[in-house]
Amino acid sequence: MTDSRDTKRVVERYLEGLRTPGADRVDAKVLPDALAAMHKAKLQTAPCSRFTWRMVMTSRTGGLIAAALVVAVVSFAVLDSFTQPAWALADALEALKDYRAVHIVGAFPGGTAEAWIRGNDAGTRSTDVVVRGSHGAITWTKEGSTYHYEPGQNTVYFEDALTVGMTPWLGRELLEMLGTADTAKVIHGKDPATGRDRVTLMCSLTDVHGPQSWIIEFDKASKLPVAMKQWQNLYRDGPPIFDAFKIIYYQDLPDDIFNVPVPNDAEYVEKPLQIPEATVGILSDPRDGISTEGLTQQEAARKIVQTLYQAVIGQDIDRLKSLSPLCRNWGDEFLRRIIFKPDKDDRIVEILEIGPVGRTGQSPLGPIAAVPTTLRLKNGKKVRQQMIVQFRQRGDTASCVVHGPYGLPREVE
Amino acid sequence: MTGGCRSLVVLLMIEDRILVWRFNRGEPAALCRIHEKYREGLLKVAAALLNDRSGVEDVLHDVFVDFAQTTGRFRLQGSLKGYLSICVANRARDRNRTTRRRESVGLNEIPAPSADVAGPEQAALSHELAAKLDGAMAELPDEQREVIVLHVQSKLPFREIARLREISINTAMSRYRYDLDKLRSILNGELEL
Repeated sequence: MTDSRDTKRVVERYLEGLRTPGADRVDAKVLPDALAAMHKAKLQTAPCSRFTWRMVMTSRTGGLIAAALVVAVVSFAVLDSFTQPAWALADALEALKDYRAVHIVGAFPGGTAEAWIRGNDAGTRSTDVVVRGSHGAITWTKEGSTYHYEPGQNTVYFEDALTVGMTPWLGRELLEMLGTADTAKVIHGKDPATGRDRVTLMCSLTDVHGPQSWIIEFDKASKLPVAMKQWQNLYRDGPPIFDAFKIIYYQDLPDDIFNVPVPNDAEYVEKPLQIPEATVGILSDPRDGISTEGLTQQEAARKIVQTLYQAVIGQDIDRLKSLSPLCRNWGDEFLRRIIFKPDKDDRIVEILEIGPVGRTGQSPLGPIAAVPTTLRLKNGKKVRQQMIVQFRQRGDTASCVVHGPYGLPREVE
Repeated sequence: MTGGCRSLVVLLMIEDRILVWRFNRGEPAALCRIHEKYREGLLKVAAALLNDRSGVEDVLHDVFVDFAQTTGRFRLQGSLKGYLSICVANRARDRNRTTRRRESVGLNEIPAPSADVAGPEQAALSHELAAKLDGAMAELPDEQREVIVLHVQSKLPFREIARLREISINTAMSRYRYDLDKLRSILNGELEL
């Protein structure tokens, strides 16, 4: 060896040759904990407006909103059965049917937010949503897209999907959905401040937004929900992510409540396609999904979405769970009632079109893609629903599963 | 550095700035991309610095969990690669305080012979040299081993090593020269390049 340059070359070769653990092994060890730490840090330290954005855009602003999106999970809603112990709040269902709009005010760690939500004429889902955070951030829906304005960045983040809203609308299906979840409990008590009788519903679910739990308080006299808390875990552990302390019902609201002024010089940025880290583990079982060997991502996405809807139309519950593993979190009867809807006019009867992969993104498991599908319902109406497909690579085996719906379904002409 | 290489470095730096921006916005995909991008290099840094190489995954795990917790408030000064490399070096140094210095080298830990080595004779020599170099590296004090690994493996300039380590650039360079001299003296006679 003649000089330091030669020594450096030897050291370079030595370092290049150092054996290190395989990427899969390292990813499996590092990423779940790192992503969990990131998620926790975001909740604890993120500025209010960002928190609102995340909370809202993942439908965590309010339990009712989130619960509604649970239903969207596959146009797939909940309803374990009517055979559960009598739903003590049946009267509330009747009380809610006359209200087409709601105003929810609540607190989340670091601030407050208010949501104005209006339902469609049929009372099946929300049509307009505006959520205003105390730090100036605003989230709203318009013509099938969802927007979020960050005043600090003077930026509007948008996505071509209705990722905030409610379906079903406040009413029978929604409350039955919450009330018939496996973990639901109903407690009767009295509000010490007002002396009024209260009925409290506690329930928890894991859906496309990860594990969530709620406490909803009903006023026994008016039969209406008057307060709600939501957690991002199944056990109502720690401070709630949203504490709605005021819920007011309206028969309708003026249109201008839903108009959101945005500065002319605001920048518009498309929001990346994402899925919650909490659901990644459920999607990782190699026994689920279909093989994508020999298929392009486009072909594979089309194949699994088509197979999924065929399972829905054919009411094949095992196939549904295999293709969309998140469905395993719900009871069979629930899945039948909410997804298959055998006795309802809005059940899916035909796949009209599966479009090309739209938006794409990345999860710790691999690429994800949103696939738009047009479906015909038994009542003759057509709806457009986007499904997120998760691609996976395990060793030499490539496969994919369906994560769940991307936003609410939209009626189309 | 050629113009093309410089452009590439600039592009990589720009990508890192975007990744950090996305990371601070809380995008999991950005964290995954950062991990994917620097995983292999950081593992090698850890493997080169740890007395007990069974801990390389633990080091990377701890570094990324700590890094993940800074989302929303992480401010990048210098290169992301440099920052993460220093984090790995710090973790490795902490672990080394509780583990004994490598005394012998297991066959699995010895770097594999380079693919471009011609013939089994030279391959055997390369393997033997790697084992000797492994022992020689283990003999270096942590702070000196760090400089050579960060400069040669992570390609960090001395200026950045000095800034991240809060030492003068002359100290960083002199440590590096000392390392090379010591390694050369140990290896001298074993290899003619």
